[in-house]
Amino acid sequence: MINGKAATLCWSETKPLPIDALTEAAMRLPEPFAVIDDHDRIVFANLAFRAAYCVNEGARMTDIETHRVSAETEFRMSGLSFGRRLVTREIKAGEDLRERVDALTGLPNRLVLREALERMLADPQACNESALLLLDLDRFKFVNDTLGHPIGDKLLCRVVDRIRKVLRDGDLLVRLGGDEFAILHASQKQPESARAIAQRIVDLVGRSYLIDDHLVTIGTSIGIATTLFGGSDADRLIKSADLALYGAKEAGRGQFRFFEQEMDDRAQARRTLEQDMRRALALRQFSLHYQPQADIADKTILGFEALLRWKHPTLGMISPAAFIPVAEETGLIVQIGEWVLRAACHEAARWPEDITIAVNLSPVQIAHHGLIDVVTSALANAGISPGRLELEITETVLLQDTNSTLDTLHRLRALGVRIAMDDFGTGYSSLSYLRAFPFDKVKIDQSFIREMSTDKEAAAIVRAVIGLGISLGISMTAEGVETEEQLQGLRNEGCTELQGFLISRPIPSADVAEFLSRN
Amino acid sequence: MQRIVYASRNLMEGSEEEKLQGVQQILAAARRNNTAAGVTGALIFNSGGFAQVLEGSSHELAEIFERIQCDSRHTDVLVLDHCSISERIFPDWSMGFIGTNTGDELMFGAITQDSGFDVSRLAADEILAAMQRLVLEEENL
Repeated sequence: MINGKAATLCWSETKPLPIDALTEAAMRLPEPFAVIDDHDRIVFANLAFRAAYCVNEGARMTDIETHRVSAETEFRMSGLSFGRRLVTREIKAGEDLRERVDALTGLPNRLVLREALERMLADPQACNESALLLLDLDRFKFVNDTLGHPIGDKLLCRVVDRIRKVLRDGDLLVRLGGDEFAILHASQKQPESARAIAQRIVDLVGRSYLIDDHLVTIGTSIGIATTLFGGSDADRLIKSADLALYGAKEAGRGQFRFFEQEMDDRAQARRTLEQDMRRALALRQFSLHYQPQADIADKTILGFEALLRWKHPTLGMISPAAFIPVAEETGLIVQIGEWVLRAACHEAARWPEDITIAVNLSPVQIAHHGLIDVVTSALANAGISPGRLELEITETVLLQDTNSTLDTLHRLRALGVRIAMDDFGTGYSSLSYLRAFPFDKVKIDQSFIREMSTDKEAAAIVRAVIGLGISLGISMTAEGVETEEQLQGLRNEGCTELQGFLISRPIPSADVAEFLSRN
Repeated sequence: MQRIVYASRNLMEGSEEEKLQGVQQILAAARRNNTAAGVTGALIFNSGGFAQVLEGSSHELAEIFERIQCDSRHTDVLVLDHCSISERIFPDWSMGFIGTNTGDELMFGAITQDSGFDVSRLAADEILAAMQRLVLEEENL
């Protein structure tokens, strides 16, 4: 039996070791952990190891330095190993552990995983019995951002403890960095065994934690690859597990997925889409359409929202819903977004001076450091006054690194630009967002407008949001207004502006002048 | 001091009698470990699930809560309440089995209506109230 009591006892009996932070972390690992040299001599043993060793071997603590490990010695050393023999091969006496061990959790790192994978792939039987699991914690960044890194670090250690409870002696648990972990799991029953431990880890890691009086709940997503389907070299296996992890996250997080060939095909399609988007930027295949925004009282045109269109040379029109997520993931949205801003401002320069232009900003653009300069120069180059530019952001923007986001929004506003909250009602719709930043406008999502006449709840939400806007002094725009009946209802509630087919569909830039003269 | 209230779904297999034994083991272990750490509370259960209140100083409570969270005999652990307290409601340990007879129904009200112990439908104050009735009952014996 290994327990805290035995460890403490051993500690008091042994002479203090020279200790740096890593040795200390290794020393306090809950798992027995030892480093053994080529002659099977123990050159380092942590408290848990010493405790286990004393019990199993009947040795006294002071004997440890000289005691040889015999082949029959049975104790667990999962700290850095697949088992005793592998430790012997992996770690040479005097080797710097810091290159192989994560100092916070005491877990082995990426380097050790790669070596273990290579070793496994060289052994056909081990190959058949192994599964690679990649884990990623859901919402960990949020915990770090809101409760601070010390709590985040403690949480990581708790997570590791819980994962360890599910693993067996032959399993290798590795911290890849941040909130990413990998498990090389061996069993004669694959893939059932990998499925079972993934299921248990998702359950266990997803249960709440009590850390420094904070109740914290996170989750984990897991991607699993086996050599049978996932590839026969280390890189491919890791990539396959990673694709499966991506699939698990996309399916809503808090679950596990096995790698399937289809995931690879989809990834390939995304890469093609990314390349096509780069070409589209260079070859000017993107264009902007403009949807009018009108005063709800008399339908006077107040401005236009710029909407991105992409005509692919072979696939035809591609919906923004299909390519924007990929552009955001690859970071390409920064360049595309810059083009949209410049083109929209340029277009607005040709319109009457009281007509505004609204442009959507992606969370990725907000997080990008160059945004303020891009907006400043787009306004200057087009020669339009900042007050005519309205930047629309969605609630998700406020979910990321809130302080720096708010700072960016305030700096944009200091330029004289107006900031609107887009698609309100579809996300968390937290009222705290409306308090966190003085928005100039809130746009109520079209799904509520559409259902307003048939769904009592939708109507109640619209009424409440408009009421909120009135009391906060924010102008309210209804999106997707299609009928006079909807307009009447919105007008009665006190909504100020509208956008939708009732006024006009989005129109190409060539038609804007004519549209304005007609209205 | 802090209080935490949670409910969870029972994963123990076997007959009603075996489950009862299992829970008695849990309670015996809880009494032993928790009392040493100065953590007190109450546990109610039926064949479908558990609900537990734990009260104690924050470090000890966190340790015990973590051990409970890692217990494979239950799942779907839902924390119903977590707050700072100045006084304990449960200075000792109590437990109760919620059966389906009328007496239980009177004592536990809404909780007995579903033999499945529907975690999502329980509220912390409901459980606290049921537990307090349980403690009173024990005192009257």
